[in-house]
Amino acid sequence: MRVALEQRFGPLAEWRSLRGLFTGLAALGLVVLVILALTTDRFLTVENIKAILSSASIVGIMALGLTFITLIGSLVSLAIAATAVMGAMVFLVELNLGLVPALAISMAAGAAVTALQGLIIGAWGANPVILTIGAGFLLSGITTKASSGVIVQPTGGGWETLNSTPLGVPLGVYVMVALALLFQFVLRRTVLGRRVILIGENRQAARAAGMRIPRITAIAFAIAGASFALGGAFLGAFNKGASAQLEGTTTFDVIAAVLVGGTLISGGRGSALRTLAGAIIIATISDLLLLRGFDTGAQVLLKGVLVVLVVLATFIASGREGSA
Amino acid sequence: MSAVRRRLRPETIVPVLSFSVVLIAYFLTPAIHGHELSDFDVYNTLQGFASLGLIALALGLTIIAGEFDVSVLGMQALGGVLAVKAGADSGPLGILAATAACAFLGAVQGGIIARVRVQSMAFTIGTYIALLGLTNVIAGNETLTFTNTSASIWINQTVENFFSPRSLIALGVFALVMLVCATTRLGPELRALGGDRRASRVVGVPVDRRLTALFAVSGALAGLAGAMLAYSNASASLNPGLQPLVLAAAAAVLGGLSLSGGRGAIWGLLLGALAVSLLEQVFTVTALPTSSAQIVFGTLLLIVVVVDAPDLRSSLARLQARRASARGTPPSQIKPKAQGAEP
Repeated sequence: MRVALEQRFGPLAEWRSLRGLFTGLAALGLVVLVILALTTDRFLTVENIKAILSSASIVGIMALGLTFITLIGSLVSLAIAATAVMGAMVFLVELNLGLVPALAISMAAGAAVTALQGLIIGAWGANPVILTIGAGFLLSGITTKASSGVIVQPTGGGWETLNSTPLGVPLGVYVMVALALLFQFVLRRTVLGRRVILIGENRQAARAAGMRIPRITAIAFAIAGASFALGGAFLGAFNKGASAQLEGTTTFDVIAAVLVGGTLISGGRGSALRTLAGAIIIATISDLLLLRGFDTGAQVLLKGVLVVLVVLATFIASGREGSA
Repeated sequence: MSAVRRRLRPETIVPVLSFSVVLIAYFLTPAIHGHELSDFDVYNTLQGFASLGLIALALGLTIIAGEFDVSVLGMQALGGVLAVKAGADSGPLGILAATAACAFLGAVQGGIIARVRVQSMAFTIGTYIALLGLTNVIAGNETLTFTNTSASIWINQTVENFFSPRSLIALGVFALVMLVCATTRLGPELRALGGDRRASRVVGVPVDRRLTALFAVSGALAGLAGAMLAYSNASASLNPGLQPLVLAAAAAVLGGLSLSGGRGAIWGLLLGALAVSLLEQVFTVTALPTSSAQIVFGTLLLIVVVVDAPDLRSSLARLQARRASARGTPPSQIKPKAQGAEP
């Protein structure tokens, strides 16, 4: 009711005209990107495109999982990096059981700790950002303690497989694309996916329809957690070891990929393919800046500005208002 | 509401209780750990408070108004780098420049949030990333060393055994904000913004202007915190990590603020920030490893966020009702506990 009233009479109406502006900006941005791409040396080479895809892959895998959390209306998780590091450590420690069991155990662990957070958020409406910061901190503390602060080494072979490059493309890229297609199917064609989107779009309606919000939220978070751990396993294999140092800027890179893809931050609108696009766009821009000799600071700045613009654009285009 | 009931409200109990508990833990530390408490411990606690308290105030003000400013982390980093750059010759100039620049950026951000009404938590995650990038660009991707040694020494010198100019500035800012909120309409208006945005608009609160000012203040406070921290450490770090946000959020909730907005007082926030600073000092003197401190703060945050969760009470009441009906008591005989929490 409140939302409807504000929508009708609030100042949002005057900002609707911005939709055109943002479309124009997006088109302009794309044109600039294409021109830059065509005029940058070594950009349009097979090697460079492979490099872009491979740098997008690990962040992309985790971002595809985060898409479920964002879509269901729980904004984002700030425990992504901590969960990924835990996933990497569990994977490396369990490698003596073989590659597939180690991956499965790692993903199950990621799914379990993240599903628990989802359950609390879904059942009691706890603030997802604060809850996941707390959970991430707790998880970092536990993994650092469990590993006694030293770099966790693989206990067996098999991790090399994750670094392999079938047909010249890193395995992570195949996994990212396969996961994007799978998640797209789940979100668009299954009951679970539609429930996730409905809860994100209108929690009250979903509750009135008798949906078990805590359970579905827990499942969405479990999918996300498994993806964080899977991304972490790739990260651990790539570095042939895992420690808290792996966290880096992972959390915010993953969030940026989801948001730049144009998934609505307040939930209910977005898709796995958008996130895939977001991850690739960010990797492309970083690569372009790198080739043109810009430093990391410029890359982060541009990434941030891009996130801000796309969040605003998707928000205005959706014609909805935030509850806060 | 009677005076006793008013005193028992969560925004009164929570800060007093949490501060008392931590204070007791603080005084028990010597007995358990054998470390004699000295004046220096108090000084050090207040040094920690100088950063944490200002960030908690920056975040807390937005929380009371029903918003959430993640970008305080970016403002802190930017404030540090700007202060180090601008304060090379004149200490006060660096702090002023950093505070003013962050206030300006905060106002721009607040203006956008107010006009577009985008969720501030989402929007400020974006601006946080952008601010970190801007900080890196300005600093040239290197940790900057602060060459103005006299300013560093001045800001850290002990005043009356316990204080330093840095902690006195932080306490002074708190006192100022408390005074403004207590004596002007801004205090009630701040809570009204968080309690019911539409109602406050209807009764004539200039919502957009207040939100713009709110984020400007939040940016200024975080920038000031970063500037003074950089002076104190004689260097500006380019990425503060998530730790300041974790501590500030813990201070806010321990200070009796509700994460859903509309509830809380500045004096509570002050006690919450002091409690977290004391806790950090306890960890320092007992030489607790970082990972253990992370576990403690993580657990603390999880507990407070669950207790603060809006649907917790109604869902517990439902559970109670279900149990009772399973025992054969008609549900009508069970006292409804928190009907208000059910939307």
